[in-house]
Amino acid sequence: MRRALIVCIGNDLVGDDAVGYEVYQLLRRRPLPPSTRLVFLGVGGLALIDEMAGEELLVVVDAVNLGGAPGALHVMAFDDIPQPQTRPVSGHGIGVREALAVCQRLYPEKAAAAVYLVGIEGDDFSSVGGGLSEPVEAALPKALSTILGLLDDVHEMNLKRGLLGKTETEAGRGQ
Amino acid sequence: MNKTITIDPVTRIEGHAKILLECNEQGAVDEAFFIVNELRGFERILVGMEAHTLPQVTARICGVCPTAHHLASAKALDNAAGVEPPPAGKLLRELMYMGHMIHSHALSLFVLAGPDLVFGLGGEAATQNIVGMVEANPELTKKGLRVRSIGQKINEVIGGRGIHPVTAIAGGISARLSDDQHARVSALSTEAVTLVNELSPTIKDMLLKLLDDNPVLLDKLNLPSWYLGTVNGGKLNVYDGLLRAMDDTGAVRAEFEAGAYADYLVERAVRKSYAKEVYLDVDGAEHMYRVSTLARMNVADGMETPLAQKEFEEFRDRFGRPCHNAILQMYCKLVELVYACEKAHEIINHRDLRGETRVPASIKGTHGIGHVEAPRGVLIHDYKIDAEGIVRGANMIIATQQNTAAINASLKESGADLLAGGNDEQVLNGLEFVVRCYDPCLACSTHAVGQMELTVEVAHQGRVMRRLAREV
Repeated sequence: MRRALIVCIGNDLVGDDAVGYEVYQLLRRRPLPPSTRLVFLGVGGLALIDEMAGEELLVVVDAVNLGGAPGALHVMAFDDIPQPQTRPVSGHGIGVREALAVCQRLYPEKAAAAVYLVGIEGDDFSSVGGGLSEPVEAALPKALSTILGLLDDVHEMNLKRGLLGKTETEAGRGQ
Repeated sequence: MNKTITIDPVTRIEGHAKILLECNEQGAVDEAFFIVNELRGFERILVGMEAHTLPQVTARICGVCPTAHHLASAKALDNAAGVEPPPAGKLLRELMYMGHMIHSHALSLFVLAGPDLVFGLGGEAATQNIVGMVEANPELTKKGLRVRSIGQKINEVIGGRGIHPVTAIAGGISARLSDDQHARVSALSTEAVTLVNELSPTIKDMLLKLLDDNPVLLDKLNLPSWYLGTVNGGKLNVYDGLLRAMDDTGAVRAEFEAGAYADYLVERAVRKSYAKEVYLDVDGAEHMYRVSTLARMNVADGMETPLAQKEFEEFRDRFGRPCHNAILQMYCKLVELVYACEKAHEIINHRDLRGETRVPASIKGTHGIGHVEAPRGVLIHDYKIDAEGIVRGANMIIATQQNTAAINASLKESGADLLAGGNDEQVLNGLEFVVRCYDPCLACSTHAVGQMELTVEVAHQGRVMRRLAREV
């Protein structure tokens, strides 16, 4: 059984929307705790359901636009993840919460037990090809250590319970 | 007009899209604009890249329709090189594309439009979503989501693992299908055909009930226009064929290769909008036209596969040709979903599938144009490549841009009524419904959590008088 799934979401061609992609690139170059799977998705939404395989922990990494200062880091447990009040008008409009709720109801065996959104507040979501804005770029190390911290917590827990498996990193997925 | 908020309507769009209603002195809607985040920047960043990388790079433009860009791009490179992929290369591309179509149409039908079908119109937006739908009808939702997932898996097996396909290249496909992959796609396509057969009568019943319950929809969203879509031997085709233009009476007025698009499609800058409107230029006049599923069903004489043909005939008997009603896009998606599942099944059993998948292709110092029918309509890629193989110019015609003029017309019509009679919630609900019927791809770029998908601004003489948005 896999213990943790990290899903990074973003569009590497578009301004700060690329932050999930950049985090993914940083994570795939370093050792991760055993039984951690790393995945990149262009759009999150229901594709999350396809990725989940009954992990204890799901960490979703994505750009957010919640009115904070650019580069600000939000670590939100499932219940704190903002729920859109509006009906989606496109596939872009379906979020982590809906995907999880659908998964819990239809495929409870696949749904992650604990879910965190690591959101990095973006500044520029419209320019193409220019890379991350400065404050978002500067937030990358902290985002990385936050994610690794979440993984360590689960790793510790599993050590105690004697539940360790081997690392499974699907680097290159999505690229 | 209860509030006066002055913001420049031409500043950056905060969410994915914005509707701007321009009113006169009496508060009646003069003009309506559907404004999406600008995509044009993508064409600029392609300049200077090595042309052979474009199928992979352009696939990253949009997380919703990556395979459409991937294949339009590969076809533009085939065209630049003056080559045709061998039969197996073409079949594999088409199979990958069927996977994408299945995925995209199932998502639209079950996830985006599904709640309208299950709950009807006019209820609480907060509960009438995919989560509410799972509660209300778990079996239907589970099957619908399974179809979506199958499509994505077929797309992945042929396109290479991951959200962005990588296998289509100039001259064909980079890898042959293994026995293992063949067996997997065969099982998936069989399951997909079975599932859509079970689902289609239910979906059709729900759709017809929605129309019966809301007769005003058939009236309000009935917008005569021209249509543009791809046919191959007269049959609907999403991967290859001629572009057929049909007028608002149902007469075919032109048929042309994608390479001649510049002779038929004219772009026009629109006041207050970043997006340009596109018109069909036929017989010396410019005509508002639509692309997407409804357009394809209108221009086609029939379907290639038996079950889809049956559905097609039923649709045409019921709604005629051309059918001008945007709400029937949902029905058209169902017919195309049946087609895509059957077609995937047909291709995986095709005897030419296991042959040579590519031919050599030289793209240096050339110009190439390629097109596919993206799920949301005609998508054209046009590249100029220098002698070193570097992109020197790129132009893309995307579906939503071509539908903008029609969306604007429908929003004007509905907006006028809604503003006269409704509160903010009703105005938003009503306008969102109109937009959803057109199924636009909103700003292929942004999706950040917390971002508003759609806002509405009511303006008079350039001043925004009222701004409608839901709380995040």
